[in-house]
Amino acid sequence: MDNQQSEPLTIAGNWNFDYRYFAGDTATRFFKELKDNRRIMGTKNPTSGTIMVPARSFSDADYVPTTEWVEVGPGGKLEVFSIIGAKFPGLPDPPFAIGYVTLDGADTAVLNYVSGIDLSDLDAAAEVLLKQPRVKAIFKDMREGRITDFHFEVVDDAE
Amino acid sequence: MKNPVAIVGVGQTKYRRKHSDKNTEELVRDAAMAALMDADIGLDQIGLIIGGVAPDSLAGISNIDMSSIARPGIPYFRVNTGGATGSSALLAGLSWIAAGRAKAVLIVAVERMGHATSAPIVFNSIFDPIYEKDISMSTISMVALRATMLMQNYGFSQEHWAQLAARNSATSMKNETLENPRFFTADQVKDSGVLAWPIHRLEACPTSEGACAVVLAHESIVGDRNAAWIHAARGLSDTYAIGDRFHRPEGSLVNLLTLDLSAKAAYKDAGITDPLGQLDLVEMQAPFASSEVMAYMALGLCKPEDSIAFTERAIENRASIAVQPSGGPQAANPVSATALIRITEAALQIRGKAGERQLDGIRRTISTGQGGATQFSTAVILGADKP
Repeated sequence: MDNQQSEPLTIAGNWNFDYRYFAGDTATRFFKELKDNRRIMGTKNPTSGTIMVPARSFSDADYVPTTEWVEVGPGGKLEVFSIIGAKFPGLPDPPFAIGYVTLDGADTAVLNYVSGIDLSDLDAAAEVLLKQPRVKAIFKDMREGRITDFHFEVVDDAE
Repeated sequence: MKNPVAIVGVGQTKYRRKHSDKNTEELVRDAAMAALMDADIGLDQIGLIIGGVAPDSLAGISNIDMSSIARPGIPYFRVNTGGATGSSALLAGLSWIAAGRAKAVLIVAVERMGHATSAPIVFNSIFDPIYEKDISMSTISMVALRATMLMQNYGFSQEHWAQLAARNSATSMKNETLENPRFFTADQVKDSGVLAWPIHRLEACPTSEGACAVVLAHESIVGDRNAAWIHAARGLSDTYAIGDRFHRPEGSLVNLLTLDLSAKAAYKDAGITDPLGQLDLVEMQAPFASSEVMAYMALGLCKPEDSIAFTERAIENRASIAVQPSGGPQAANPVSATALIRITEAALQIRGKAGERQLDGIRRTISTGQGGATQFSTAVILGADKP
């Protein structure tokens, strides 16, 4: 079949669907604790004793329901990090750092933004963060019951 | 092995940023027809068709299954395990043959991400909408997090990532399935700007479209066809939650537990006790240098304490196993198809049909699949000999 030689046609499209994600009762309580009490709460797996943060209604390692709420942090250890250095559509302006933190008393790590570090030189900032520094959770004044109600700040060793 | 199965045909389109001259159905057809022709098997002999497509939103087509091969009388289903989609589809096909439900299965995995003009937003949508989406995760930052852990735990440097990326780019020059292979040096990688520290722009795989198809055949219909036999095919899944994988006694986030366990099971099935000694080639679904290094360890190609030395041998093409002779997913990573391409590349090498990138003496290979932040892993061992 001979096609007429011409620039292949492109038809514009756009997906702009709105959603509402149902957080479920357990995440709802987790977020309410952030908003109302500035507390980060985990849930305990009664079989392994593991404290999961952020809170889950069950452990997907063994499918056991969690039974107990436990406050963790606000201090913790930065496990891993990245510093986003380029602008991606739909994401905040660079540079910014994110990382997984094991809060004191928790057995899992939670993802959030990491501040308190000079990001003007990415390699220099990375050198500091590679040492897995202590961090603490800092709460926003205006909280709305979202994971972004807090972020992690690197704690100065001198403190 | 009971009821051995072989790959008797493969077909690939070119891999490139966009196939604007083909709609999705046409891409699928091109790969499928090439595989059937390679296998010398007609569509009428196919007992099952499996479509491999990752998130619909990358293609912007809610019902991407419209591009499936519609044949009244042939069952079809779709598999989606992110980057492991293609190899998961192959495992599903093997199960159908083992169950006696088909003698020949056609697997077609297609990636249509060139449609997405804002792919990073789509990739952000794969993260947990309750706890993680708002922290601006991307597939690249997800990889970067593990790369920093490798640096802190094992002493890898940015130089290693840049050199391995450059090595894969040089290797990919011989891969004729790539429409526009990119050549760059380690210095060019390091000067290409930080996407998400320590990942630089040139280290990230390019947007890649294309389709890959494989024909699986039960031994009773293999006949004298040029076959790459399945010696083992294993796959495992893990928790979605990355944060739950830091303190597990079985292994930390960089230990790729699901790949490690899949490989161990596959080695047992295939009677492999010394992977480096008994395997000739490895094709890893490793879209970044750091993912490749983690796979070396999980596949038992080196111990963690020797991982830097092994990586440096791989960079210098001195490893005692052929590493990513296609250039791997760093050269082209059509997400839905990429894990099937790793298997296809190994099959081409065993069957002596790998063109300019053909290596001598490839008798046994391992190919990996990794999807959803290694929530899903597969390990497939192929061999020239019937098991």
